[in-house]
Amino acid sequence: MSSLLEVRGLTKRYLGLTAVDGVTFDVERGSVVGLIGPNGSGKSTIVDCVSGFQPAHGGQWMLDGRALTGWPAHRIAGAGLTRTFQTVRAYDELSLLDNLCVATQESDGVGWLASLARTRRLRSTETAAAARARGLLATVGLAEYAGAPAAMLSYGQRKLLAIAAAMMARPRLVVLDEPVAGVNPTMVRRIEDVIHQFNAEGVTLIIVEHNVDFIMSLCGRVIVLEAGRKIADGPPSLIRNDPRVLAAYLGQSRATEISHERG
Amino acid sequence: MDPGIFLQLLLNGIVIGVIYALVAMGLSLIFGVLELVNFAHGEFYMLAAMLAYFLTMRLSLGYAATVAVVTILAVCLGYVFYEALLVHIHGGGFERSILLTLGLSMVLQNGAVFLFTTTPRMIETPLSYANIVAGSVRVSVTRVLALALGLVAFAALYLILYRTRIGRAMRGVAQNREAALMVGIDPRAVSRLAVAIGIGLSGLAGAALAPVYAVHPLMGFSFVFKAFAIIILGGLGNIAGAAIMAVALGIVESVVGGFLPLVMVDALVFSSMIGMLLLRPEGLFGRGVRV
Amino acid sequence: MTRGWLGALGALLGVAVLFAIPRLTGNEYLLALGISFATFSVLSGGLNLVYGYTGLLSFAQVGFFGIGGYTAALLVTERAWSLWAGAVAGGVLAALVGLVIGYSSLRLSRHSFAIVSLSFALLCMIVARDWVSLTRGAMGIPGLPVPGLDLPGWRWRLSRPADFYYLLLGFAVMAQALFYVVVSSRLGRAMRAIKLNEPLAQSHGIDPLRYKLLAIALSAWLAGIAGGFFVFYLTIVDPSIFDFYYTETMLIMVIIGGPGSFWGVLGSSAVLAALPDLLRFTTDLRMVLYGAVLIAAMLIFPGGVGGWLDRRRLRRWRRPSLTTP
Repeated sequence: MSSLLEVRGLTKRYLGLTAVDGVTFDVERGSVVGLIGPNGSGKSTIVDCVSGFQPAHGGQWMLDGRALTGWPAHRIAGAGLTRTFQTVRAYDELSLLDNLCVATQESDGVGWLASLARTRRLRSTETAAAARARGLLATVGLAEYAGAPAAMLSYGQRKLLAIAAAMMARPRLVVLDEPVAGVNPTMVRRIEDVIHQFNAEGVTLIIVEHNVDFIMSLCGRVIVLEAGRKIADGPPSLIRNDPRVLAAYLGQSRATEISHERG
Repeated sequence: MDPGIFLQLLLNGIVIGVIYALVAMGLSLIFGVLELVNFAHGEFYMLAAMLAYFLTMRLSLGYAATVAVVTILAVCLGYVFYEALLVHIHGGGFERSILLTLGLSMVLQNGAVFLFTTTPRMIETPLSYANIVAGSVRVSVTRVLALALGLVAFAALYLILYRTRIGRAMRGVAQNREAALMVGIDPRAVSRLAVAIGIGLSGLAGAALAPVYAVHPLMGFSFVFKAFAIIILGGLGNIAGAAIMAVALGIVESVVGGFLPLVMVDALVFSSMIGMLLLRPEGLFGRGVRV
Repeated sequence: MTRGWLGALGALLGVAVLFAIPRLTGNEYLLALGISFATFSVLSGGLNLVYGYTGLLSFAQVGFFGIGGYTAALLVTERAWSLWAGAVAGGVLAALVGLVIGYSSLRLSRHSFAIVSLSFALLCMIVARDWVSLTRGAMGIPGLPVPGLDLPGWRWRLSRPADFYYLLLGFAVMAQALFYVVVSSRLGRAMRAIKLNEPLAQSHGIDPLRYKLLAIALSAWLAGIAGGFFVFYLTIVDPSIFDFYYTETMLIMVIIGGPGSFWGVLGSSAVLAALPDLLRFTTDLRMVLYGAVLIAAMLIFPGGVGGWLDRRRLRRWRRPSLTTP
């Protein structure tokens, strides 16, 4: 069986700088894959390209065998690949419930005319969506604020909301861009639990993070980038001791020190 | 076609083109540095012309003194404009800046109409009737003076932008805002100066050209839209491009206007602007700034 | 539930009162104000849809208004169409033009659309003034004939101001109902999502271009039809139909009422349409006031009346603490 996501030779340049240089990797169905690397290694660029927010200069990627290369962002989301953003995004003036229901309205098959005419099909679809939204809010622990505007949430709560929204349309693959950056330890654990739960329900996840400990404990497999290239790809135990990874993060001399310490 | 007439029209076109250029370059500078469309730009031009009329006709100030006073006041007004209004919405979104400056233009324009009525006024001094004659070409002295002032302004602007530190900072901010901020350029100081210069140029244009054409409260309105067209055609934020397009427009208007109904030129200009925006958004001369 | 029904009843009552006015008073000035309100409500409602809900600043509304007016006038005087067909055709043409300029400029950037829409409005003014063979130039097309409606059992000749009052008011009610249905539906919610956070909306599968074009086309269509009816009320169409004055006024209506607030904009349209009478200002001073209001709004209260009311409602929700389990 082929992988859920196949990325082949992804390349992106910015004004003469090659941000992503021929990156290739697979993501297996049901797995949680971490994507780490020092600043400027190209992690967020890969996310932006694969999800359609930035055009790639080369390479291709497929979801379940279906080529998504060159597709606009909204179409990729409709195909089952959703994402969250590094700068946490929410519809501040809409309620939490609305924030989630918006995320599924394009994929439930109800057209514009039916929406305006408020047909029975529309109403039952909206009821189902609201129910699903409440369920997701309960999962992330925000159920009591369902009717409140998103502007009222704290930073960490907005991150949870964004993850819940990304799950609304039953995606096959969700890419989380720095889900725990700037978040207090209690909230980090909560987000980790939430991710576990969604993964248990069958969602495949790619997590981009700077918090290496978080990635190591959560992910079954870790991909490491440096200067736009993939330098390591494997289970956390292997990655932790990989000399190239250590060198990328800590500089060569310190990396050598650590390898010697570890024996 | 009589070469004498052609030369006459050409010269007139160059003069008006240089004045267009002053206004357009000011607008372009403000857009480039602040990413702000100054809808009220034409009104500053109008106010300068009205003030020039007042100084010349009521206080009997000479041409040079009038231009100097008005220009200095315009620069100060630009400074005030920035500190009182623009600084508050700086970075607050494109739409807010359009609406704010639109509001200001409504206040200034309609206020001027209310106070002075729409009756056009002509500045009439002995200078108005003086002409320089060379062969079959006759150019009014006022036009020559306006041209001279415009060229001096070009030179001054060039010197500021390319030979001073803060000028370099302005160009830096116009080309790449984030990078400029990262190297420690103070956005407020640069923006303030850009607005002061931009409004100053408008003021200079208004004062310089006041003796040539009629002065009335609505003169800024058509000017500013033409200025928009010029900077879009020349490349948003590209000051040199704006100057070139402006002079070209002035020449085309004058030469074509001598033979065809001028109205067609307006339509051509605005259609070109729309076409340019859609087909080549960076303008003819390339972008100084992303739209 | 009951609040919804009460609101609907209130709206119906209000409409009934408005329709009854010509019977209660013969004051033609009042009728003229009513016609002005009805017409502006369609224009500002459309601008609210495009700018207030979808986030696109547009100066093109007046262009659509005038295109509708000229199209209807030309079809009636040159091709003997009825006003009804002519106005609808005007609306359709305006919508098509809107789609064209929307599609071509929206793909570039948000700023492009604002500037292109402004250029479009100016171009309309210039074409109306200068393409004399099409539009009769600065003199326009005067002496537009009295429109009529012939139904089995009923003949209606729109010869009195009261007739146009009923026409424009009736049309405005239908237009507002359509606006309301759209903005309170999931389409309106998608538009708001696009305005609030466009990349987020894209990540949720929403195609911003489709919704922006919908907003533009709908507002253009209604503005065009309104234009068709309006010029027959004036019995003349000339380049002044494209005056910047209309743009400035509808912008003020949207800004004061609150961009994105359906009732706010409707209310401010009513108040501002009546204002010339209430304040007895000359046009110039009124515009100075509008300009000052615009400046104040941008500096202090960008949300208008509607936004202020929303913020008051929002204060119910206290900010949850970070340690909430």
